[in-house]
Amino acid sequence: MSATTRTSDYSLQTRLLTAVSVLLTLFLGLTGVVLDRAFRSSVEAGVAQQLQVQLYVLLSAVEEDNGQFYFLEDLREPRFSQLNSGLYALVSSPAQQELLRSPSALERNFDDLFGRWAGLGRGETFFAREVAADGEEYFIAAYGVVWENGEDQYDFVVMESTGTSVAEINNFRASLWSWLGGVAVLLLVLQLLLLRWGLSPLRRLAEDLKRIESGASEQLTGAYPLELRPVTENLNLLIKTERKQQARYRETLGDLAHSLKTPLAVIAGVMNGLSEKTAAAPAAVNEEQIRTVEEQLERMNQIVGYQLQRAVKSTGSTALARRVDVLDVARRILKALQKVYAERQVEVVCDIEPGLVFLGDERDLMEVLGNVLDNAFKYGGHWLAISARVTQVPSRQLSIVVEDDGPGISATHQEFVLQRGARLDTLVQGQGIGLAVVTDIVGSYGGQIDVGTGQRGGARIQLVFQNFQTTDITASRS
Amino acid sequence: MRLLVVEDQSLLRQQLVLGLTRHGYVVDDAADGKAGLYFASEFAYDAAIIDLGLPLLDGISLIRQIRAQGKTFPILILTARGDWQDKVEGLDAGADDYVVKPFQLEEILARLNALLRRAAGFAKSLIEFGPIALDITSKRVTLGGLGVELTAYEYKLLEYLMLHPGQVVSKTELTEHLYAQDYDRDSNVLEVFVRRLRQKLDPQDTLHPIETIRGQGYRFRTDA
Repeated sequence: MSATTRTSDYSLQTRLLTAVSVLLTLFLGLTGVVLDRAFRSSVEAGVAQQLQVQLYVLLSAVEEDNGQFYFLEDLREPRFSQLNSGLYALVSSPAQQELLRSPSALERNFDDLFGRWAGLGRGETFFAREVAADGEEYFIAAYGVVWENGEDQYDFVVMESTGTSVAEINNFRASLWSWLGGVAVLLLVLQLLLLRWGLSPLRRLAEDLKRIESGASEQLTGAYPLELRPVTENLNLLIKTERKQQARYRETLGDLAHSLKTPLAVIAGVMNGLSEKTAAAPAAVNEEQIRTVEEQLERMNQIVGYQLQRAVKSTGSTALARRVDVLDVARRILKALQKVYAERQVEVVCDIEPGLVFLGDERDLMEVLGNVLDNAFKYGGHWLAISARVTQVPSRQLSIVVEDDGPGISATHQEFVLQRGARLDTLVQGQGIGLAVVTDIVGSYGGQIDVGTGQRGGARIQLVFQNFQTTDITASRS
Repeated sequence: MRLLVVEDQSLLRQQLVLGLTRHGYVVDDAADGKAGLYFASEFAYDAAIIDLGLPLLDGISLIRQIRAQGKTFPILILTARGDWQDKVEGLDAGADDYVVKPFQLEEILARLNALLRRAAGFAKSLIEFGPIALDITSKRVTLGGLGVELTAYEYKLLEYLMLHPGQVVSKTELTEHLYAQDYDRDSNVLEVFVRRLRQKLDPQDTLHPIETIRGQGYRFRTDA
């Protein structure tokens, strides 16, 4: 039950769409992350560069006198002078003691930040992003300096609150992701439209099939794309074959019903006569009447047999045909028949080119060869020959000839045999149904049957088919 | 002659069993392939009639398995569809002849006779040894060209012996092939039949066509 539900939910469009969505999400997500990181590091590099410049500004604006540091002039960067501007300057001693700070930093507490740049060598720079005790985050740039004529090293430090850069990064991030999301939605919608457009022939096929099912249409007629054409062509063929088969069933049934009526009428007549006679004189039930009923029963049996074989044989369509090895089929039938007619001691000459392939139903070829060869065994003498070869005249065709050395088929019977699809109720009493079936099958493949007299005076049946192939035996066996 | 009939349609099976029994055969019947295989494995038959469309084990497989057991008795197949694929497959599997349904009992009898004869190595329906001649088809026996009146059992006994000429046939084998299963094997009926046959076939007591091999059975002399 669950299996059926799953099958009915299975959609090509959903599948493709899901796959594309997953792929798109992965691709756009990865792109976003990479862009975000690149932007952040570029912002940080910018800040580092700026702080380096500010450090030089600080260096040039600070003077020392006996270990006391003071600002020579107003710092050129106004943000150093504005309280809590976000840009702060510090000078610290080697013992990590604060010696000077810019006016902007007067209210800030950097106590736990000291030491982060400890151990800085002379002329070395330090850059980091650190969080102060009050939760404020700073970019910190420090520079180790030894004053002229002095020995002590002082660290010049410039700090900038990360707030501005974070806001900048956040802005970028927001716009980046909204753009990427927009692109994703757009691509998905486009993809959906593309899929619907691309898969529309399949939908059309389904609709066409539904129309055929409802009887509104006979064939798949629309112009289908190249990739679907093998499917639609084969479907059309299948539908056609099915139709033919159906038609034949109907025809067979009709023929059957029709041809059974005659013998039934005869029997009914005999029974009628019998009941009248037995009433008058019971001994009058004579041999002849019994024989008539028996004959009619045999006839009915033949009719049923013939129509049955006609109904089950394939349509003879070569397009959906299978490949049947002629030599193999003939050998199997000959082996079987030699068993059945073991006592006849028939000399069999089998001259079939190896590699001949009949394109059609194996059952049909078997029925044809079986009936023809059976007749040759049954009515022939002690010799029969079967040959199969490709002839070039009048055109390239497969010719199968079966000959025997029996009395042959009389001219009147020859004529009958050549009537295609002759109904059995038009048949001479006692005539077998074998060749009638053969004629029918050969005809359905567009082949020909020819009945004549062979070189030894017996029957010679020639079957001609167009639906064959020759294969290189070594190739087909490898 | 003991026959095995494997056919699933009970009416047809009964008709066959009845008809064959009336014509002097001992018949075992099975309604499906598995039962058929059991009978074929357990008992010695002279021939079998097997329908191709059987439940449990289809006819073709049944024939293959019987042949795989090394049983060589002739097999006649019954086919309803009558197409060559069926026939060829059945014969390929190891059957010896086929009959297409519906059929007349006469046809089955004729085919059976031919198969039994062939299995015994005789090309004709008339088997002759010296002045004694037996026609399997008409079931008539002549001595020097004159008809010999035999009862059904006497005929069956002689037919079996003449189809196995020169071979020692044990009493058990004879009993199995001539009588239905529940026959009392200890009875001396066989001896009585043999004695009567000898009297009828050799009234002057000069030919001695049936030899008694002490402790082993009987043998039909080919130089009688």
